[in-house]
Amino acid sequence: MEAHPVSTGTTADEIMTGGQGESLLRPRAAAFRRAFCALGLIAVGLLACSNDPYPPGDADDVVYYSSFTDPPRTLDPAEAYSSRSHALTGAIYDTLLKYHFLKRPFELIPGLAESLPEITRLEGGRDRYRFEIRRDLLFHDDPCFELGGEGRRTREIVAQDFAFEIARLADANVNSPVIEPFSNIEGFTEFSKALSARREEDSAFGELPVQEQYAAIGGISGVVTPTPYVLEITLGRAYPQILYWFATEFASPIPWEAIAYYDGEEGRPRFADHPVGSGPYQLTVYEKQSRWVLEKSENWYGVRHPEWKAPAAVYPSEGTEEDRRLGRLADAGKALPLTDRVEFRREKEGIPRFNKFLQGYYDGSGIAKESFDQVIQEGSLSPEMIEQGVWLDRTIEPVVFYLGFNMDDPIVGTAKGDRARKLRQAMSLAIDPEEYLRIFHNGRGLVAESPLPPSLYGYDPEYRNPYRGLDLERAKQLMKDAGYPGGIDPETGEALKLVFSSYNTSTSGLLTYQWYTSAWKQLGIDVEIEATNYNQFQEKVRNGALQLFEFGWGADYPDPENFFFLFWSEMSRVKNGGPNETNYSNPEFDRLFLSMKARPNGPERYAEIREMVSILAEDALWIPIFHRETFTLYHDWVRNAKDYGMSIPFYQYRTVDPRSRAELRKTWNEPIVWPAWVLLVIAVGLIAPGIVTYIKERQ
Amino acid sequence: MGAYVLRRLMYGVGVVLGVLFLLFLLFFTVTAPDDIARKALGEKAPAEVIEQWKANHGYDRPLWPWQDLDDNLLFDHYRKMLTFDFGLSDADDAPIMERIKQGMGPSLSLTVPLLILGLIAAIPLSLLVAFFRETYIDRMGVFLCVLAMSVSSLLYIIGAQYLIGKILRWYPISGFDADPMMLPRFLALPVMVGILSGIGGDVRFYRTVFLEESTRDFVRTARAKGASEARIMTAHVLRNALIPILTRVVLAIPFLFTGSILLEAFFGIPGLGSITVDAIHANDFSTLRTMVYIGSLLFIVGQLATDLSYGLVDPRVRFE
Repeated sequence: MEAHPVSTGTTADEIMTGGQGESLLRPRAAAFRRAFCALGLIAVGLLACSNDPYPPGDADDVVYYSSFTDPPRTLDPAEAYSSRSHALTGAIYDTLLKYHFLKRPFELIPGLAESLPEITRLEGGRDRYRFEIRRDLLFHDDPCFELGGEGRRTREIVAQDFAFEIARLADANVNSPVIEPFSNIEGFTEFSKALSARREEDSAFGELPVQEQYAAIGGISGVVTPTPYVLEITLGRAYPQILYWFATEFASPIPWEAIAYYDGEEGRPRFADHPVGSGPYQLTVYEKQSRWVLEKSENWYGVRHPEWKAPAAVYPSEGTEEDRRLGRLADAGKALPLTDRVEFRREKEGIPRFNKFLQGYYDGSGIAKESFDQVIQEGSLSPEMIEQGVWLDRTIEPVVFYLGFNMDDPIVGTAKGDRARKLRQAMSLAIDPEEYLRIFHNGRGLVAESPLPPSLYGYDPEYRNPYRGLDLERAKQLMKDAGYPGGIDPETGEALKLVFSSYNTSTSGLLTYQWYTSAWKQLGIDVEIEATNYNQFQEKVRNGALQLFEFGWGADYPDPENFFFLFWSEMSRVKNGGPNETNYSNPEFDRLFLSMKARPNGPERYAEIREMVSILAEDALWIPIFHRETFTLYHDWVRNAKDYGMSIPFYQYRTVDPRSRAELRKTWNEPIVWPAWVLLVIAVGLIAPGIVTYIKERQ
Repeated sequence: MGAYVLRRLMYGVGVVLGVLFLLFLLFFTVTAPDDIARKALGEKAPAEVIEQWKANHGYDRPLWPWQDLDDNLLFDHYRKMLTFDFGLSDADDAPIMERIKQGMGPSLSLTVPLLILGLIAAIPLSLLVAFFRETYIDRMGVFLCVLAMSVSSLLYIIGAQYLIGKILRWYPISGFDADPMMLPRFLALPVMVGILSGIGGDVRFYRTVFLEESTRDFVRTARAKGASEARIMTAHVLRNALIPILTRVVLAIPFLFTGSILLEAFFGIPGLGSITVDAIHANDFSTLRTMVYIGSLLFIVGQLATDLSYGLVDPRVRFE
C-alpha cells in the first residue's frame, strides 16, 4: 500500500520549515516516480479487464444469447399480448396445440393435447371441441405448490387447470385483452357478468380466493372437464379459428396455487412477474429491467418422456425445400429442447446491440438502421459479414401496413358512391410502393397487393391488384371520371382538399407523410397532414372524424379471417367499437366473410377469399402498402433459426456450437493495449516540462 | 440555528405542496385517463377492459373535491405522495416503491464513483492549472476544458462505446451485472465517460475559485513567510475554496439517488434514471410523477444540506 499524500505532505512541511533547495529535489523526484508507477499500475489494472459481458464458464454450455429492448408489461398469460411478453411466456407456458416449426402455411400440431381435438357439430350451429390431455404432465417446480400439501414442489397438469385459465380470461379484474374471441364459448359472457355482479353486491365474496369465486359462480357452462384428462369446449356459434387461440398462452394451463400464492403481498412477487408454467423452459432469473434467464425445465414432458416422441417435443423431419437447403432438417428426430439455456440482456439502443452481436456476444441480431448499408449490399450480405461467418434469415411477417379511407366520410366515403371509389382508386395508383420501401425501409418489405400477407392460407403470389403500382396517366383519367379533372373540386373551383390524419409526430413520420402528399399533388389533390399523438388519433378513429390515415395490422393467428374481419361491417369502429377502422360496409363482402369464416381450408374457402380480395381491390378503401420483412443475422455457430413472423419463440428448436463460439469470441475480442501507453506518454510529455521548469525556477 | 432550520423546513413544505399541485394539474388534468389506459393495455384492448383498468387504477373517480369531497383524485394524490404510498405503475402494475428500491442500487453504483472520481480528477487538475497560472499548461488546460464542455455528452457516449468498447475492446460496450466481480467491468466505461463529459466544467469552475483565493492577503502573507507554492495551494487556497466546492458537491449528493438519465439509458444500467426514461416512453404517468416528486424533494433537501454545511467549513457563517 503506497501513501503518496503523506510523502508529499512531509516534503511540504520540510519546505515550510525552511529546508534547503538541494534536499527538495530527491523526494520530489521519488514522489513523481512513485506517482508514475501508480498510474502505470492503475492502467495495467484497468486494461486487465475485457469487453466480455458474461461471467466466465459458459464455453461448453449450449446457451443462446439474445437481447431485449424494453421489459414486458406482464408475464401473466391471460394478459400478455405483446411480442415482448411472448418472448418469455411463449417458452414458459405450454399449450394444447402448437405450430409446426418448419411448415408454411402454418400448421397446427398437438402440444399438451394427445391429438388435434375431436369436433362435434351440435344443434343450433354450435360446435364442441374435445381435447384429450396427455397424462403425467407436470408444472414447473415452484414453492407455490406447498399450498396443496407440505413439501410439494409441483403437481400434475389436469383439465381443470385449462378451465381455470379460461375462467380467468372472463374475469373482469384480470383485464384480458382477448375477451372477444373467447366469448364465442358458451356461457363465457354470462360467467363474466355473474362474477362481476356477485363481487359488486357482496364485498366479502370478492375477498375469497379466485378459484373459490369461480367455483361459487358455477364456472363457464361451455367449458366442461368430464375427467381430469378431457377438456370439452362448446362454442355458441361456429368459430373454427378458436383452435388458433388454443395455440396461444391465453389458453395455457395455470395452477390455482400460483394465483393464490403470488399476490404481491408479504414480500411475495406478483404472478405477473413470477410465472409458473408448463413449457420447455423455466424462468430462473427475472431481473426485469436488465437480465432474464430461461433454463430447460426438467419437468417438461419432452424431457421426462422422450420415448413418447410427441410431435411438439421432437425436432421435425418435414419442412420446405429452403429448410432442407439451409440444413434445418439436420436435427430431425432429436428430442427437444436442443438449447439448455436462453439468456437475455437489455439493450435499449440499436447500435450497442449490433456491435455486441459483431463481437460475438449475441447469437442473433436485427440490423441497426445506421449499419444497414454496411451489412446489406444489393439485397444480400456484404463481403465483410460473409467473411465473419454471419448468415441472414429473411422473413415476411404476417403484417400489413396500409393507408385507409374512412368510408363514413362525405367526400372519400360510401356517400359519394362511384365518384369516391374512382377517387380512391386514383389515389392508390399515384403511390409507388416500391419507391416507398426503398426510401423509408431500406427496401425491406414486400409490396402489398391485398390485406392478406404471404404464409397465410389464401395468399396468391401471382395476384396483382389492378389499382396498385404507379400509373399516373390512369390515375389522372380516374380523377377526371370521378369529377375532379386535374384535381379540381367543381364545387369550390380549387384543388380538392383532403386531410391525412396520423399518430406519428416524429420527423421521420412527417417525411413519410410528405412523400404521400407529394404523390397525390401530382393528381392535383391538396392533402393536409394532421399529426397528433396516438391517443388523440384514436379518438378521431373512434368518432370517425378523419378522412385518410395510415395504420398497420399484425396477425393474432395465421388465418385469413384475422385480416378480413377488419372489413366486416359488424366490426365497424364508429358503430360497434370494432377494429374496422374504415367503417366499411358491403353486404356482399359480409356474406362471403361469414361463409369463409365458418369453413375449413379448401377450394370453396380459397375461392371465397379470392373473391373478397377482388371486392376490396375494386372498392379501394385501403391502399395496401407493404408487408414488413424481418432481416435477422445469425452467427455461423447458430443452427435451426427460422423466424416465425408472429411473436411465438422457438428456442427449443435452436442450437449453437459453444466451442466454436468461445474460440471466435476470443479471437475477435483481444484487447488493444498500446493506445493506453501512448496516452500516458502524451500526458507526461505535456505536464513534465512545465513541472521541470517550475522546479528549476524555484531552485 | 434551530429556528433557521425550522424556517427552511417550513419553506420546503410550502414548495413541496406547490410542486404536488403542479404535478396534479400536469398529470391528471392535461392527460385523460383513457389515454393512459390505452397506452398501458395496447391498441387492441376492448372498451370494457379499458373501463375496468381505469377502475382498478382509481382513474374513474372525480378530479376535484367539490365533485366528491370524500373520494376525489386531488386529495388522494396528496395523501399518497405525502405518505410515500406511490401505488402501482400505470404501465405494468408493479409497485413503484419496489421499483425505486431496485433502481437505487444500480444508480448509486454509477453515481457515487462518478462523483468521487470526478472530484479526485477535477480538484487536482484545477489546482494544477491554477498552480501554473498564465503558463502554457494553464492556457492549454483552459482550452481543453472549453473543448470538453463544447462536446455533447452523447458524442462522448457513442465515441467511447465505439472506440473503447468496439475498437480497443477494453470494456463491454454496455450492460450491467450486479455481481461484484463483474460490476467494475460494466461501470468502467460509463464512469469514464461521465468524468470526461463533466470535467471541463468542473476544472474551469474550481480553477476560477482557486485563482480568486490565491490573490487574497493570507496567500501573500504565506508567501512572505516562505511557504512553498504547493503548500499554499493545498493548505491555504484549497481549504479556503471549500465553500464553493462544498456547495457544488452537497447539492449533487441528493441527485446521486436519482441516477444519470443519459448514462443509464445508453449503457443499459437499470437505475432510476433509466426508470424515468422508460416511464416517459411508456406514458407511465404514476411512475413519472413519483420520480418528479422525489426529484423535487431531493432538491429541497440538497439546498438545506448545502446551507447547513457552510457552517461546518466556515466558522464565520451564522444561521439567523
